[in-house]
Amino acid sequence: MFVADVRLPGLQDIAFVRSGVAHGRLLSVNKPADDRERVFTIDDFDDLNVLEAGPELEAFRQSPYPALASGKVRYVGQAIAACVATTRARAEDLAERVEVEIDELPAVVDAVAAMQPGSPRLFENWADNAFIARTISAGDLNLFSASPMRLKRRFRMNRHATVSLEIRGVVAHWDARLEELVVHLSTQGGHVMRLGLARALGLPENQVRVIAPDVGGGFGGKNRLLPEEIAVCAIALKVGHPVRWIEDRREHLLASVHCRDHHYDLTVCFEPDGTLLGIEGDVHIDAGAYALWPTGSFMEASMAAGNLPGPYRMKALRVNTFTVATNKAPMGPYRGVARPGACFAIERMVDEVAQHLGIEPYEMRKRNLVKRTEMPYVTVAGLKLDTGDYHDSLDTAAKMIDISAIRRRQKERKPGEPRVGIGFAVYTEQSGHGVVEWSKRKSRVVPGYESANVRMLPDGSVNISVGVQNHGQGHETTLAQIAAHELGIDPSQIRIRYGDTATTPFGFGTFASRSIVFAGGAVGVTSRRLAEKIRLIGAHLLQAAPESVRIENGAVLSDSGSVGFGEIARAANIRQEMLPEGMEPLLEFTGTYEPKESAGVFSYGTHAVVVEVDEATGGVKILDYAVSEDCGTMINPMIVDGQVQGGISQGIGTGLYEEIPFNADGQPLATTFGEYMMPCATEIPTVRIAHSVTPALVTEYGVKGVGEGGAIAPPAALANAVADAFRDCKASFNETPLTPRRVWEAAQAAMTRMEAAAETRA
Amino acid sequence: MKMTEISVRVNGVAMKSSVEPRTSLADYVRETCGLTATHLGCEHGACGACTVLVDDVLTRSCLKFAAMCDDRHVTTLEGLANDPLTDLLRQCFHESHALQCGFCTPGMLMAARDLLRRNMTPDEITVRNALAGHICRCTGYSGIVHAILLAASRLKPDD
Amino acid sequence: MKPAAFDYHRPATLAEAIDLMERFGDSAAAISGGQSLVPLMNLRLSPSDQLVDVSRLAELQQTRDLGDSVFLGAGLTHAMFEDGAAPDPANGLMRQAASHIAYRAVRCHGTIGGSVAMADPAADWPAVLLALDAAALVRGPMGERRIAMDALLTGTYTTSLETGEIITGFEVPKLPADARTSYVKFNRKVGAFASSLAVAVRQGEALRLVLAGAGPRATLLAATAAAFIAGAPKTSVRNTLAGEVALIVEADDPYACALHIATILRAIEEIS
Repeated sequence: MFVADVRLPGLQDIAFVRSGVAHGRLLSVNKPADDRERVFTIDDFDDLNVLEAGPELEAFRQSPYPALASGKVRYVGQAIAACVATTRARAEDLAERVEVEIDELPAVVDAVAAMQPGSPRLFENWADNAFIARTISAGDLNLFSASPMRLKRRFRMNRHATVSLEIRGVVAHWDARLEELVVHLSTQGGHVMRLGLARALGLPENQVRVIAPDVGGGFGGKNRLLPEEIAVCAIALKVGHPVRWIEDRREHLLASVHCRDHHYDLTVCFEPDGTLLGIEGDVHIDAGAYALWPTGSFMEASMAAGNLPGPYRMKALRVNTFTVATNKAPMGPYRGVARPGACFAIERMVDEVAQHLGIEPYEMRKRNLVKRTEMPYVTVAGLKLDTGDYHDSLDTAAKMIDISAIRRRQKERKPGEPRVGIGFAVYTEQSGHGVVEWSKRKSRVVPGYESANVRMLPDGSVNISVGVQNHGQGHETTLAQIAAHELGIDPSQIRIRYGDTATTPFGFGTFASRSIVFAGGAVGVTSRRLAEKIRLIGAHLLQAAPESVRIENGAVLSDSGSVGFGEIARAANIRQEMLPEGMEPLLEFTGTYEPKESAGVFSYGTHAVVVEVDEATGGVKILDYAVSEDCGTMINPMIVDGQVQGGISQGIGTGLYEEIPFNADGQPLATTFGEYMMPCATEIPTVRIAHSVTPALVTEYGVKGVGEGGAIAPPAALANAVADAFRDCKASFNETPLTPRRVWEAAQAAMTRMEAAAETRA
Repeated sequence: MKMTEISVRVNGVAMKSSVEPRTSLADYVRETCGLTATHLGCEHGACGACTVLVDDVLTRSCLKFAAMCDDRHVTTLEGLANDPLTDLLRQCFHESHALQCGFCTPGMLMAARDLLRRNMTPDEITVRNALAGHICRCTGYSGIVHAILLAASRLKPDD
Repeated sequence: MKPAAFDYHRPATLAEAIDLMERFGDSAAAISGGQSLVPLMNLRLSPSDQLVDVSRLAELQQTRDLGDSVFLGAGLTHAMFEDGAAPDPANGLMRQAASHIAYRAVRCHGTIGGSVAMADPAADWPAVLLALDAAALVRGPMGERRIAMDALLTGTYTTSLETGEIITGFEVPKLPADARTSYVKFNRKVGAFASSLAVAVRQGEALRLVLAGAGPRATLLAATAAAFIAGAPKTSVRNTLAGEVALIVEADDPYACALHIATILRAIEEIS
């Protein structure tokens, strides 16, 4: 059951009136005279709080984002009024009759231009359009002047949407009996959303219950509190009947969480033999009009800069980062957060240097990758790469893809035949980062632990409640596997529960590739405590010494006999007279978990892709895609494969298909799947995956996260492959998605340059 | 609001309803009949999550008005609960890790069943083409393609 | 994303449908498969508030052998052509085109007549039927008339249909067995509308070459066809083609021109 499937008596639908212009002063909102009480504007709520959002840094400027527009509108699609009716169609009819008057202002649509003096500003009290601007510098900065060789390039990863197939949804009603607001919400973390909702609505948290039923994908997009969600709850408190808002696809593409939109202006310094020395330049993140609660998109810039050295040994880093407000929908996290952009920039740069020096890109990587013997290796940006063998990963991928066969094919190509190219990208994926990392980032909410409640019922069956939120990751399977391992029972005897603040312990939810490390750890350590108590009771019932018994197959065994968990659980729950003297009844523990070191552990991998490029049309076809990856211990290899393949599918979307372009007035030009290209089974190949396992040293079972890695490297690998196909004319492909038009235009420009150069020589 | 009277057989059950002409078949089965296996992912025919059968013909229920289905037989995934081919596909989806969040799955099952009823021995390209226009954001499709090929391999001529 | 309110009519006969279409004029829309119209309605981009359902009219489902040509009812679906359930007088070209329209579920409902009446500039049927030199049969308040495809297509989403007129079907000439056809579509992904669509139909020294996805409607490239048939050298055919394409493509768009040239050249290659 998804949010849109929730049925409550008296439920009515909400449709929003949205801004048709990107930037303007809201002069008036006129409600239809005969339906005034069914239309809500911000003026109807005098008790709503506007939440501070973004990192808790003085330098981070606040962009107050009211539940419904107040004073100004700052992007096309911003919600201005909410209309309530018995069906969504009728609510939309009503919305059409609301008259909105806006005094249009010039739109800010380019993050780089937005930082130029004289640019129109989104927030009048800001000195410029930056939410925050920071310079990150580390290492031997003298290198930048002393370096023997340098190359300057500009990269751009364009804006797109998160596109969970189930779109957002809220069903809210006031439960008069319990005196609480019940909110069914499609979210990645109900507990944190309750915190935000309670604050925004001015309710105590114990009067807000958030239920996330089945959640149809999130990918980061459902890990922020959006104004519509607050507005729907506020309306529910006013109207006295349940209300719902089910986002439609146009709303999703217009006004839900957007992502990427990175601009890089970089210079890389290197030795003549290809040894990388350092990287410097500017990174602009087009963050849209507002910071979303709780943490906005501020991590994009710092993580992009921090991940620029990637898996390579470098000695210096100096990056000016700008997180810029523009008249576009607010940006939020999306699978891979910042790293797809950083990986694209550095991996393209590696290939550009290789091209420049005439080195095989594979060799170039071999020369610069951190070695196994150097682990743990602290990158110049300060990330501690903990375990793994990056060289082996590259070699494995190279073997899988067969470089020499492709090189042969390229040599034998006849004119008129499609071009073929091979591309590599190596990535790292930080996961399991806790207090150290998040407080360093000045996060408003510090997700430094997860919790689990493990309970054995009187019949010996087990319920486990967790604070993470499965939305496709298969937690019912993996968490049950972990508990089964600790408890010595079959996973089928364990039910995993999540998604209801009334029945689960506080937790932060599922994002940042964190669930297997944190929730897996919490389930593991808590189950272990339960197992120990079970063992003690078992020993007592067997009249054996505690150290002489062990757990096996749902029973406690001594040398002379055994007692089943059913009997033990019965004693603990309903027959306390059978317990050891002084032991507390119940078989229930709630525990939390954070890895021993909380700076994070790093999964990594190499993507290798072969593409065919049609020179005449610019069309790119993937011929082969191979991955070698290492995410530490795998609890469930099938789920790991699913995460890798699924992540790559999204990365291919970023690399080749998905984009929301804007015109100069700030109008988005892709608002349906007619214009927004979503790859299907005909576009996404089956990826060949090789695993190696280097267990993490600081997590339970040696696990590392795997959710995001797949999405990080594809844009880089694809662009490198396309560039490789055009090696002879030195074309650069530095902007995603690599649409046929972009590919053709870049190739054409390179060929024109080459012809001009040939003419000059002649 | 002018209403239209329709008689539709939904999963074998005769329904008589008074609907607004603009009510889509998707909203009709979801809101009027309470059959929520049919999901809405785009409402413009591009994502496939709402796929149902009308008189056994594969149909995007967001692109049909309920009024147009008067006198027709509509089958949603709920109506295939005891269908052997759907059962086989479910089993193969399960074995192949062919779903993650599950939102696209009803539409995928509909498309897969329709394909296997037309072609019991599809190759991979045929399967992929039959899934064009069905968006899965989670799996990257390989599990789904695998599941359908697996189901085909287990099909017996009289299924 | 729900449509605005409308009235729904399901006439029992074609004559009744024509009456309704005439009575409601510009506010009426005929719907058969609805696979192009309903998305526009859901987005509230269709001005019609009177929907005339012609999907059950027997007249539109017919096929008839007319000797030199075949009558194909407007209500035949893409899937019928794809599955070989409807005749293909074009030696497989119609079947090929049909199987590349959108997605299977859409093909099961979308109709050849609806596609032509919608007149999307990138649609398949207008281009294919134009290349086949087909004619639409149209019934309206003034009776029946026959409109050559070239005269029917007038611009982006517009046709020369008069108020109250409904396309009942198409007369498609039978191609001789030795005729050659080609269909080259370039799109961003399978099922997406064509960025460029080239269709070629060659009967001996007669070549009809059609480009769609460029400009307001599918266009015959007569000069290029003539140059090719005359045996002009490749570069000269290409130059003629570039000239014709430049007239169709809006503004200065070298990529669009190059793309259309590429699909047309491939279509020519296939019938050479």
